[in-house]
Amino acid sequence: MSVPKEEDLSPHSQLSSHFFLDLLDSIIVDVASECHRVARLGLDSNLEEEDEELKLSAQARVRVADPSNSNDANGKYVVDIFGQTHPPVANEIFQCMNCGRSIMAGRFAPHLEKCMGKGRKARLKVTRSSTVAQNRYSRSSPLSAHSPSSNYSTNSMNRLPNGTSNFAGEEHSNGTLES
Amino acid sequence: MEMFLRNPLYTNPEPCQHLAEYKLKHGFNGYKAIQKLLVTSPIGKTSVKKPKAVPRCSFCNGCEGRFYLCLICSSFSCLDHTILHSQSEIGHAVFVDIERAELYCGVCCDQLYDPDFDRVVMSKHSMGLTSGATGNESIGQRLIKRRRLISGVGLNFQKSKCGVSTKDMRAKSCYPMGLRGLNNLGSTCFMNSVLQVLLHAPPVREYFLSGGHRLEACHRRRTTDLMCLLCEVNAIFSAVYSGDQNPYTPAQFLYSWWQHSANLASYEQQDAHEFFISMLDAIHEKEGKSRNGSKGNEDCQCIAHRVFYGLLRSDVTCMTCGFTSTTYDPCVDISLNLNTSVSSTEKGKKLNKRNDDGSLSTLSGCLDLFTRPEKLGSDQKLYCQNCQEKQDSLKQMSIRKLPLVLSLHVKRFEHSLVKKSSRKIDRYLHFPFSLDLSPYLSSSILRARYGNRIYSFGGDESDMFSEFEIFAVVTHSGTLESGHYVSFVRIRNQWYKCDDAWITEVDEATVRASQCYMIFYAQKTLYNKANEDQSHAPNSPGRELYFPIAGCC
Repeated sequence: MSVPKEEDLSPHSQLSSHFFLDLLDSIIVDVASECHRVARLGLDSNLEEEDEELKLSAQARVRVADPSNSNDANGKYVVDIFGQTHPPVANEIFQCMNCGRSIMAGRFAPHLEKCMGKGRKARLKVTRSSTVAQNRYSRSSPLSAHSPSSNYSTNSMNRLPNGTSNFAGEEHSNGTLES
Repeated sequence: MEMFLRNPLYTNPEPCQHLAEYKLKHGFNGYKAIQKLLVTSPIGKTSVKKPKAVPRCSFCNGCEGRFYLCLICSSFSCLDHTILHSQSEIGHAVFVDIERAELYCGVCCDQLYDPDFDRVVMSKHSMGLTSGATGNESIGQRLIKRRRLISGVGLNFQKSKCGVSTKDMRAKSCYPMGLRGLNNLGSTCFMNSVLQVLLHAPPVREYFLSGGHRLEACHRRRTTDLMCLLCEVNAIFSAVYSGDQNPYTPAQFLYSWWQHSANLASYEQQDAHEFFISMLDAIHEKEGKSRNGSKGNEDCQCIAHRVFYGLLRSDVTCMTCGFTSTTYDPCVDISLNLNTSVSSTEKGKKLNKRNDDGSLSTLSGCLDLFTRPEKLGSDQKLYCQNCQEKQDSLKQMSIRKLPLVLSLHVKRFEHSLVKKSSRKIDRYLHFPFSLDLSPYLSSSILRARYGNRIYSFGGDESDMFSEFEIFAVVTHSGTLESGHYVSFVRIRNQWYKCDDAWITEVDEATVRASQCYMIFYAQKTLYNKANEDQSHAPNSPGRELYFPIAGCC
């Protein structure tokens, strides 16, 4: 904000402007004094390394954003370090340890859910129609609003609010709903 | 009286010639006189009491601005005229800035630092410091424990003095051991991403690969029908470090974990962070109890505690009287709010690509936010024992004890009470590969609270192990409703992307530019040691080696 010229102000405004500038000066000197001490005592010795990291980070973002750079494809049709490719849905087949049926790996979790009688779907099936039970909820969301109630969670001020624990959504692995 | 310890964090400031002369001639007389005039605020500030009459500069008679008090003759000067005072009165070079109780040299025109003066200042605050007592354990005892932990003796490594053999051809090949994809069992990338982190966390890796949890010795297996979760983790380690290149299916683990998590909580986790917490909880719950018997977790020796647990300190200060109540809470990780209100600087502008609002969020910024004194709202007045009534309070967090592996969780969600909805924050967060946590330790935070005086603030030498190196990042892409987790792990300074079944090599830039959700750092000494040990990693016990066919590179 620009400070109006003293002459243009009424005496009252001049006075308040004067006080404001005094206060501002005082705050600036406070900060300078604080930083001076930190610098002189070597408490900020990591500044150079920090700057270097920031620079690398900025360069990285530019490089990655450049479409001409060949990044590994985000899709699942890449070749891994051993030279292998894998199908989008894991197709290893094994026996469910709960019911004994042969299950494909990529479909194991939803099967196990029903098999063990867990989850909203399994419970819904008892009381609702099968169409409702077909609503999937994602297993890949970054948030379940329900916070862990353990004693060992972090800083109590940062607890997540309680809420529903499931989000409706599509199964991500191949974008389709399981029939 | 506190001894001034040689604190490696401080550069011992050299006194200027004038301060040295002053001290020779006047000793501590001036300091002691000032000490009587010092005024301390409840939140740690120090100033010099102003006389009843408004002070005026002995030269210009001005009464505005900041005043400096001469230590010898007690006359006041405004900043510009301190030099004149020094010139007219020989030897009157040392002043005190009365606003901040800082020494100033009128001849050098510079702020001065003297441990003796700082000690005088701190002894005025002495009441506030004793509430920070950290327990009965002597510093010496803690030091010994700490050193043992660092050197690995405490973790009972069975060092591979036997069978270092590199029969496994892959040790000489391109890729280090322990790289193996994990099949997605149906939206279980949240689980896979965290498992990959554990598979490559140096102390956890060492523990399991050196037989820290043996199937035969596990008594839990014998007593219940349920599989012991640690046995499951052990099985994963064996499988992933076996040399088999086909992606592993952690179905048995999922099954066991669901049986355990049903006991712990009544929900199904979908968030990688929640999975991480529940895993460590389960490990502690089962392992800790069996090892320690009692519920007390003071010295729990379960692998979760030994590796991940740190101690957070919380200070709540009454803003009226300064009485501080301190509590310590164990923590397995730190959840950080994104610092979104960042001011841009010129220097910053040159270096950084900006977010839309022109500012860059950094991990240090988030840690600053975490340890910043926070004024509790007027609706959150806390009862002060000293004042005997509810008062406005200031709360401040700091790290009392760092774990071997520090897990940082970025809270990438906003919950709107008004809209009753949550949304994800995609804002880029810069994170360094090397992180020095000393500014966030309780000793540093405490010191900063009192103006960074040269004084010992209860830290011990274990604070020296505050340098950390990153070894894993869990990233998330997508929305709250539909997204995907991918981990990056760092082995011998090469980054690998662990995307369910696909393990690929990536360059540093990919990792730096990623959207981090959880970041994992290991103490530098541990990290470096793990890197050296990579080529001598003990083979999984009891497993046939898998010899790759030629041409794996």
